[in-house]
Amino acid sequence: MSVAVDRRPDPASAPRLPGRARRLVRAHRARRRARLSELTRPDRVVRGVLLVAAIIPTFALAFLAYQMLKYAYPAIVFNGWHVFTTKFSLGNQYSTAVQVRHGYKAPKGAVYGILPLLFGTLISSLIALFFAVPISVAGAILLVERLPVRVQGFLGIFLELLAGIPSVIFGLWGIYTFGPFLSRTVYRWIADLHIPWLRGPTGAGEGLLTASLVLAVMIIPIIASITRELVRSVPPLAKEGAVALGLTPSETVRFVVIPYIKTGVIAASILGWARALGETIAVLIISGDLLGAYPHSIFDPFSTIATTIASELDSALTDSTGMAVHALAEFGLVLLVVTLLTNLGGRLLTRRFSAAGLPVGRGV
Amino acid sequence: MSEMPAPTMTEPTVDPSVLAATPVDAQGTPRPVDAVFTVEQLAFFYGANQALRDVSLSIGRHEITALIGPSGCGKTTFIRCLNRLNDLIPGTRVEGRIDFNGSSLYAPGVRAIDIRRRIGMVFQKPNPFPKSIYDNVAIAPKVNGIRANMDELVEECLTRAALWDEVKGKLRDSAFSLSGGQQQRLCIARAIAIRPEVILMDEPCSALDPVATIRIEELMVELKSDYTIVVVTHNMQQAARVSDRTAFFTVDVSEGGRTGMMVEVGSTEQMFTAPSDQRTDDYITGRFG
Amino acid sequence: MLIAAPAIAVIVGVFHQALPALGWQLFTKRTNSTGIQNAILGSLLFLLGVLIVAGTIGVGAGIYLAEFASGRTERALRFFSEVLAGMPSIVIGYIGYVTLVVEFHWSYSLLAAVMALSVLVLPYIVKTTEVALRNVPSALGEAAAGLGLPRSATVRQVLLPPALPGIVSGLVVALAISTGELAPLLFTAGFSDNDPTLHLFHHQVPYLTNVVFTDISIPGARAHATAAAAGVVTLGILLVLIAIGRILASRARRNTARMSL
Repeated sequence: MSVAVDRRPDPASAPRLPGRARRLVRAHRARRRARLSELTRPDRVVRGVLLVAAIIPTFALAFLAYQMLKYAYPAIVFNGWHVFTTKFSLGNQYSTAVQVRHGYKAPKGAVYGILPLLFGTLISSLIALFFAVPISVAGAILLVERLPVRVQGFLGIFLELLAGIPSVIFGLWGIYTFGPFLSRTVYRWIADLHIPWLRGPTGAGEGLLTASLVLAVMIIPIIASITRELVRSVPPLAKEGAVALGLTPSETVRFVVIPYIKTGVIAASILGWARALGETIAVLIISGDLLGAYPHSIFDPFSTIATTIASELDSALTDSTGMAVHALAEFGLVLLVVTLLTNLGGRLLTRRFSAAGLPVGRGV
Repeated sequence: MSEMPAPTMTEPTVDPSVLAATPVDAQGTPRPVDAVFTVEQLAFFYGANQALRDVSLSIGRHEITALIGPSGCGKTTFIRCLNRLNDLIPGTRVEGRIDFNGSSLYAPGVRAIDIRRRIGMVFQKPNPFPKSIYDNVAIAPKVNGIRANMDELVEECLTRAALWDEVKGKLRDSAFSLSGGQQQRLCIARAIAIRPEVILMDEPCSALDPVATIRIEELMVELKSDYTIVVVTHNMQQAARVSDRTAFFTVDVSEGGRTGMMVEVGSTEQMFTAPSDQRTDDYITGRFG
Repeated sequence: MLIAAPAIAVIVGVFHQALPALGWQLFTKRTNSTGIQNAILGSLLFLLGVLIVAGTIGVGAGIYLAEFASGRTERALRFFSEVLAGMPSIVIGYIGYVTLVVEFHWSYSLLAAVMALSVLVLPYIVKTTEVALRNVPSALGEAAAGLGLPRSATVRQVLLPPALPGIVSGLVVALAISTGELAPLLFTAGFSDNDPTLHLFHHQVPYLTNVVFTDISIPGARAHATAAAAGVVTLGILLVLIAIGRILASRARRNTARMSL
């Protein structure tokens, strides 16, 4: 005699639904009882204490989001759609002249347009991706497919090291070593070609291209280490099949490895992109930080949302109307939403491939 | 039935008239006089999948009961119901009834932890804790608040598990320094350190070589005088060698899913010489499984 | 090679720039002179603070998620912790400033800085702790349950010891991350030419990454060398921490391999 008769939902058996519901409730209670009976009284105390700890990250997130909204609110009301104007200026904070909009005051001449900053954020991170993705993917494939395991492990240390180097060090290196070097050599050569966007004074090596290249170096470990795990997870059988068909190693990579890892590489790139979007200090040091300016060439100074918050919070504090601080909060909110969405997207995609492949460091 | 005298328990004198009045299993085999477990119409579910159905049997005190059958027949699922270890797996559900010493194992208010202290378990692969040999045996009594004479207790348990002579000089060594067979005997010592009434063994020899297997089998027979033993095995010779009673399980695929079920239970001798069910006969003679 | 090159280039470049300023005076003199002693002490103090705050909370949360949680709660808490991991560090710094420093009247202080850093590394510690515990073979948990050990005793005596190298490795890497951070500290820690104190509130704390950042923009080769020297010391601390983390991580892997027989 079978005990469980009516397990699957069956629309035809509507009259028996109460019985089924009762069974479900009973099963639920049994599960709950079983779960609780597993725990002794001291267990429950320990569980309670740990639960408090486990809630704190969620609480911190809620607190950050709430405070961000609270501080951004006056600016959101004041700016309205004007936040998408093309200029950014804190206005004359030393004069007492104010402008009033929707009941909120701001210094005369203040324009809190996010577009130049958004442009700087997007263009620098996209240039960084443009360089970082091919290098990371090619590097990871070569690493796994061509090199002996011992060498892989050795080079892996450098990848981990690169992930561990803090952004202020990257800034230091970019401004003193990498930027001047590029400026003396590659930049001059590029600028001499007189291509629009790629010409103009190359300066001491500050500016958009150097900042983007340093960003690229910073996100290479993220993309490369995930890609490395992906390449390692390509089933050997698929590769052997390709070899059996007479494909050369490079054809095997092209027709077997790359299709297999494609989605994963996209996910890894999104994670790297999220990191580049939110990066502050390195870009702040190297960008030349021309507030609210649109770069006219890849050698021009520029600013991003993150660098503006970092560099302008000081001056914003002198604003007696307080609107400058709120405007920075509004920008921060935009940055937060953009990075959290990209990060989450990348994470949801990577979860399908590997749990262990996530690299060490921030943005992980 | 075992003729071994039980030193710690007073064996009830078996009166033939009582024996005649003992309830019988579905197949007509007499049930054990003194049952530790009485299982009635047990069914088990992982979520919506039924893994086990129609298990009804009794497990006699100071007997070795062997559970045999092809893989996937629910033997392991069943043995894990006996100490409520399946409670650990979310989404599982038990239907039917298991009585342990006459009271329901799954009744509200019965704590799984208390049950498991009275029913020890030995697993398929030796799984000593990453601690010293001594600590492996001592950990459960310590946590349960027994502190006095720990050294004696450890020696007694290791002796009982036929391991003392091999490890007495290196009690502080890691349990992983032992061979697989020694590790499994350590796990038995660990299980008897909480002085359980029952020891459940889930294919205790499947990861061991033949020599180590024989040691464990001898040990089981020795331990029978103090403990009730339920052993899952896929090795029919093992069941025949050590057990008093044998239950045969099989897989039922008729309803679409794969559901384990018990076919019959009886004395080992009867099961191996004159099984009443054709499926048992097929399995034992090697025509199936 | 392309992968190894940037790391070497960065380290060599920074080291080269720092050469004129390297010497023992870094550790014995303060930032008002030719050293960075106060900044080193401040950075180490932050590490201690992060270990206490984020370490306890993160490990506790990781244990909860791995061993005590079930179903929907577990999924929600883990999800939000992961979301927090994607929070841009400058946003954490901004909120640290407007709430802790201004709204709560803590001023630039040790506690405000440690809080900001802790929020930053917390999700990382939660994750590594949870993974370390999940890597412990489930057979050990079952064996403990089979002996009737209570859950908390099982976790403390059976599951935590083998998971410990992994957990500590995660902690150490989290400390390495916080050593190099600047954005969350820029508006929470302040700076001072004196050695840091143990006052939680109202006392500014000097730290290494700030020296790097401010000395870059001070004109003159001397300041630039000091910036790079502070960078070298930061890298030094970081490398030691990463090395410890790696050693522990490989021990954790060996542990797992041994236990799964």
